[in-house]
Amino acid sequence: MRVLTAVIAIAFGILILLGYFLPQAAIIQTILLNWAVILTGVAALVGLVNLMIVHMDKVRRSEKGSIYSAILVLVMVLTFFAGVILRPDHLLMRKVILDGIILPVEAMLMGLLTVTLLYAAIRMLRKRADVMGIVFILTAALLFLGSATLPFGDVPVFGTLIRPWFTQIFALGGARGILIGVALGTLVTGLRVLFGMDRPYGGK
Amino acid sequence: MDYLDIISGLLSFLFTIFVLSYLVGDNPLFRITIYIFVGAAAGYVGSVIVWQVLKPQLWDKGIAAIFGGTLVDQLLILLPLLGAALILTKISSRMAGFARLPMAFLVGAGAAVTIGGALLGTLLPQMEATINFFDPQLAAARNIHALEVMGNGAVILFGVVTSLAYFHFGARQNANGTMHRFGLIEIIAWVGRIFIGVTLGAIFAGVFAAALTAFIERFSSLIDFINKLIGIF
Repeated sequence: MRVLTAVIAIAFGILILLGYFLPQAAIIQTILLNWAVILTGVAALVGLVNLMIVHMDKVRRSEKGSIYSAILVLVMVLTFFAGVILRPDHLLMRKVILDGIILPVEAMLMGLLTVTLLYAAIRMLRKRADVMGIVFILTAALLFLGSATLPFGDVPVFGTLIRPWFTQIFALGGARGILIGVALGTLVTGLRVLFGMDRPYGGK
Repeated sequence: MDYLDIISGLLSFLFTIFVLSYLVGDNPLFRITIYIFVGAAAGYVGSVIVWQVLKPQLWDKGIAAIFGGTLVDQLLILLPLLGAALILTKISSRMAGFARLPMAFLVGAGAAVTIGGALLGTLLPQMEATINFFDPQLAAARNIHALEVMGNGAVILFGVVTSLAYFHFGARQNANGTMHRFGLIEIIAWVGRIFIGVTLGAIFAGVFAAALTAFIERFSSLIDFINKLIGIF
């Protein structure tokens, strides 16, 4: 089984990768990616079933906070079957589930970040006042000052000269370095899987 | 304002208040809201998967292949169907081993897509964009003085190189057992820290601005809902 899984991962991985560089392999790549989409969908559903089983176990064992788990399972099952029966784009689903629950909670959690980020920034200044920390806070303050709409209009030099230069030149250099570094790391991780050095699907 | 709008507005109003209550500390109302949110989001995603992935890709194509498809069509739908059945065995702890086969396929496919995406979507375009600053023809096409563009390009290139050097973790062992980086790399990495600090500061400012906008939008929606209710009664 260990050899078979490694052969499957490497062979199909190489076939899909070839599709990026050889036009002749593009048809096979499309078919395989369609299969991957289907299997990812089924795997996500299995994940939801697992989430339900974990929380139902908590309810069965009457663990602390099991009432929250019961609420989660109930809402999940109701939403799932309502979505399957009515379709996710049905008016009721959009108004009650999306506009009534998901979007406001997401937006408010995002709004809470305002307080959390401010608190984290102050804590960082108190606990880690090194070069990187000071540059970090100064840049954030500078950019915020440059983009703020003040009663007397834009701050002259900040908004028109310093802020664009910092975001479009200085920060771009660092961001590009980070992006290239992340891409190199991702590339190596992918290659390790294709060479069979990493086997996250099981087997050593 | 029909009854669905009222229900939607009421739910939105209550959940906004409940999440906001976290500012005074963790409390049951906040927890209930988060569990409801996770349940609703998970259920909604599940129904989207059924309607937008499984029905068109598996059910519709499967029916078309069985009734009037060629042998190749039937084979092309049989394999993902078999894979789906094997993934479903993951629900049972005794039979979960069978799910390794389709999971291996998914990992291989994911690795290939990741490599393709990293190479063609990030590495090459980012390098090309960095190089383009030194192309006088491109500067002329954008009606900007070549020296200005090249000056900016030099700062960006310097930032890219020094930021990458910051993530260079190759080190040598001293006689006393401590580790140290090569001297030149250490200096370049120190400059890279400044560039990374500026970048993270810019990202922080952007995220903070977005969070503040969301915060204001929620408050505005609360006021809107109260005004609408006052209008009704």
